[in-house]
Amino acid sequence: MSTEAGHAVGVAMKRKEDPRFIQGKGNYVDDLTIPGMLYLALVRSPYPHAEIKKIDIADAMKKVPGVKAIITGKDLEAAGLGWLPTFHGFDKQMVLGIGKVLFQYQEVAAVFAESREAAADGAEAVQVEYAPLPVVADPFTSKTDQVLLRPDREQKTNHIFHWEVGDKDATMRALSSSPRRIKERLWFQRCHPAPLEPCGCVAYFDTMGRLQFHVTSQAPHVYRTALALVTGIPEDKIHVVSPDIGGGFGNKVPVYPGYVCAIVGALKIGRAVKWIESRTENLTSTGFARDYHMDVEIGATEDGRVTALHVATTADHGAFDAAADPSKYPAGIFGIVTGSYAFPVAHAEVDAYFTNKAPGGIAYRCSFRVTEASYAIERGMDILADELGMDAAELRRKNFIRKDQFPYPSALGFTYDSGDYHKTLDTALDAIGYKQLLEEQAEKRARGELMGIGLSTFTEVVGAGPSKHFDILGIKMFDSAEIRIHPTGAGIVRAGTKSQGQGHETTWAQIVAEELGLDPQTIMVEEGDTDTAPYGLGTYASRSTPTAGAAIAMAARRIREKARKIAAHLLEVGETDVEWKDYKFQVKGVPSKTVTMKEVAFAAYTNMAQNEPGLEATFYYDPPNMTYPNGAYVAVVDVDRETGEVKVRRFLAVDDCGTIINPMVVEGQIHGGLTEGFAIAFMQEIQYDGDGNNLNTNFTDYLLPTSLETPHWETAKTITPSPHHPIGAKGVGESPNVGSPAAFVNAVIDALSPLGVRHIDMPITRDKVWSAIRAAEDRKK
Amino acid sequence: MKLQYNGEEQIPAAPDHVWTFVTDPEKVGRCFPDVLDVAVEDATHFDAVVQVGVGPVRGTFKLKVELMPDAAKRRLDVKITGGGFGSAVDMTAAAELVEAGAGATALKWSGEAVARGPVAAVGGRVLDAQAKKLISQTFATVRERLAAE
Repeated sequence: MSTEAGHAVGVAMKRKEDPRFIQGKGNYVDDLTIPGMLYLALVRSPYPHAEIKKIDIADAMKKVPGVKAIITGKDLEAAGLGWLPTFHGFDKQMVLGIGKVLFQYQEVAAVFAESREAAADGAEAVQVEYAPLPVVADPFTSKTDQVLLRPDREQKTNHIFHWEVGDKDATMRALSSSPRRIKERLWFQRCHPAPLEPCGCVAYFDTMGRLQFHVTSQAPHVYRTALALVTGIPEDKIHVVSPDIGGGFGNKVPVYPGYVCAIVGALKIGRAVKWIESRTENLTSTGFARDYHMDVEIGATEDGRVTALHVATTADHGAFDAAADPSKYPAGIFGIVTGSYAFPVAHAEVDAYFTNKAPGGIAYRCSFRVTEASYAIERGMDILADELGMDAAELRRKNFIRKDQFPYPSALGFTYDSGDYHKTLDTALDAIGYKQLLEEQAEKRARGELMGIGLSTFTEVVGAGPSKHFDILGIKMFDSAEIRIHPTGAGIVRAGTKSQGQGHETTWAQIVAEELGLDPQTIMVEEGDTDTAPYGLGTYASRSTPTAGAAIAMAARRIREKARKIAAHLLEVGETDVEWKDYKFQVKGVPSKTVTMKEVAFAAYTNMAQNEPGLEATFYYDPPNMTYPNGAYVAVVDVDRETGEVKVRRFLAVDDCGTIINPMVVEGQIHGGLTEGFAIAFMQEIQYDGDGNNLNTNFTDYLLPTSLETPHWETAKTITPSPHHPIGAKGVGESPNVGSPAAFVNAVIDALSPLGVRHIDMPITRDKVWSAIRAAEDRKK
Repeated sequence: MKLQYNGEEQIPAAPDHVWTFVTDPEKVGRCFPDVLDVAVEDATHFDAVVQVGVGPVRGTFKLKVELMPDAAKRRLDVKITGGGFGSAVDMTAAAELVEAGAGATALKWSGEAVARGPVAAVGGRVLDAQAKKLISQTFATVRERLAAE
């Protein structure tokens, strides 16, 4: 561990936040108690689509001790708060059901009571009479418009949007003239980020009449502005605090009805209100992820050079369009679907529909639909390799964007910053022993055993983003940092991002320490308090390091420029004679005449001469481009022919995320993301039956892998710094979740390919594998 | 989720007697398994409160019951709607009485249940048995009570 001035970036420093988390001393929203605080419980609809005939609150108010107030959708509507805008900006969501409900577990009434138990009892005692309406349980039924789900909208259709990018005519021409073609429908199933800490908040108005809002938010500043816009409370009278957060993964980006109800309750009753949702409420009503049905078509020459890509997607957005995408990108950054390959032409389109399911479409550890795109192209390339009878690694190598082509303009409008895909793949193949694995597989196949090797050589696009492209509710997606160095050389850095486990308290300190030659142990990091942190768009979409990480480096460099003046004064030379070398200021050409940042910091408060006192700086960073982390993943699986059980024997992740700030933190991120990717590939789906019932409402039905199921992860790296990021870092948190599902699925399908199995949709459960094997055997008979 | 059941009870009582019993809200209401309360509204409507437990979900259901007797055909249709603890159930049951020898009746029944909410989510594993119990035990109890008379 580095505690001395010197190299701080690249050091596997232990996480500064961990002692408090390991000892159970974290400070979460549910730990906060305000005197006189009430609890909020929500009445939810058991019906996926029904008219609300009557809400009877009499019993709940009279017979349940402790119930103080109950509000319904009509009450909110009368106060002008019936609907809240979704972050995407083009739709709105009912806070509490008004006239009808559109998904099972939708919020219908809010009960405020003296205790959590009384609130739950009160919610139980509210009697709601429903008249069921026909249920639209999938986007293909929705498409027919036979049942109009959202008569509140101007557009009388269930179709939400059509989005497309690329040259459709040229792509179709290229596909039809390609000697070889594949086409497959791939469904990236509906899944849920399921953070261990569910969503919650505490809202109250303090003695100054200010709204104090403590909330599990990945984007506290955006919440403050959104609250000001929606409620009309002046923004200076709103203080949003995100304390410690137990995992977010995109689930804690949107504003949820419970938050609005808590604030309305606090205002109406004049007491603090706490709302903490249950596990079931989290899984059934907050932002889900994916649910893209993708028709993938790839054309190629006989010798395996790709000629064109077309992807047509049908998206299930649920009852409201609450996908947390930047406003100009209704399908997020799905255009990255050409992946790591030099497609001369491509076209991607997405059509989104309403259904009677929970709203969402959030970026679950993913940079806005990049995971769906990555899965589509990486599965597509494997299906093409199978079609051509070509080795999957060879096909990829043949079509990779070459190192000398960067910066590379993709057919769908991105400018890839840097990468060395051949080197990253070769690193992976060497480390896993690809040649030997192929030999072993050939032997096993001869014996009828099912062994599979799956590759995924993905490219992600993260760090939204350049303000000219990206905004949320009109707010540009820059980020910010403020650094103050104290007289003793310790300091504080504040950023507009908000860690939910990413380790910012450590890595942000490392960047400051590296830039200023200070001890990272004495650089405190503070995020999540809108009164103190500079304005930022928050942490999701792997944007923290590309944006706030850059802002921190730039703010530190501003401090260094100011410090240089003071150093010149201390060294008794002109400013131009001072250079920053080996983490110190020195007189040019005189290595013996130096002054440390710590000494300069002291002087900034005690002996600054004619210079402005103090040592602090703020920087708002608007990135010139996004960053393009990439990787080569290899999964090796054995499939039991009799039971359909898949055993992941090995998994190697080679990641290239540019400059690494803390290798231990990066490795931890990769382990976490791979475990989620594994769960998505094999275990997780939010299923609805044809009647719109949610079948995965708790952790006995929506599975999280424990250490027993989780394979052993092997990791390695290549480093291709981002040329436009101040320290060359690209972001890594999401890469393993983005890249790994395709590797797992490719491995299973590779194992089953001798039987003629071409595709199985995730999650690849034992029964699906078993059925595919049985069906293949029946075909043979 | 939708569940369907059917069955038959042999009752040692004449059809007329059985018919009077099963069309009496108070009597048939008390035959619901784990019934806590029956409140008769009129000759064909009553409310019942029953205790239910499905896996980890336990609580009471408040049910609204409507009897739709067709005396000519000796056929009784029953519509049950209601729910509790955030769940909703809609059930329909039909019973037909057929004379089965002297002083005996065959009660042929069928039932259908649709459940929504937490109860439906715990799903096929346990709900099936619970819904079946509610319908089949009701008719079994009808037989027992009549046999004991």
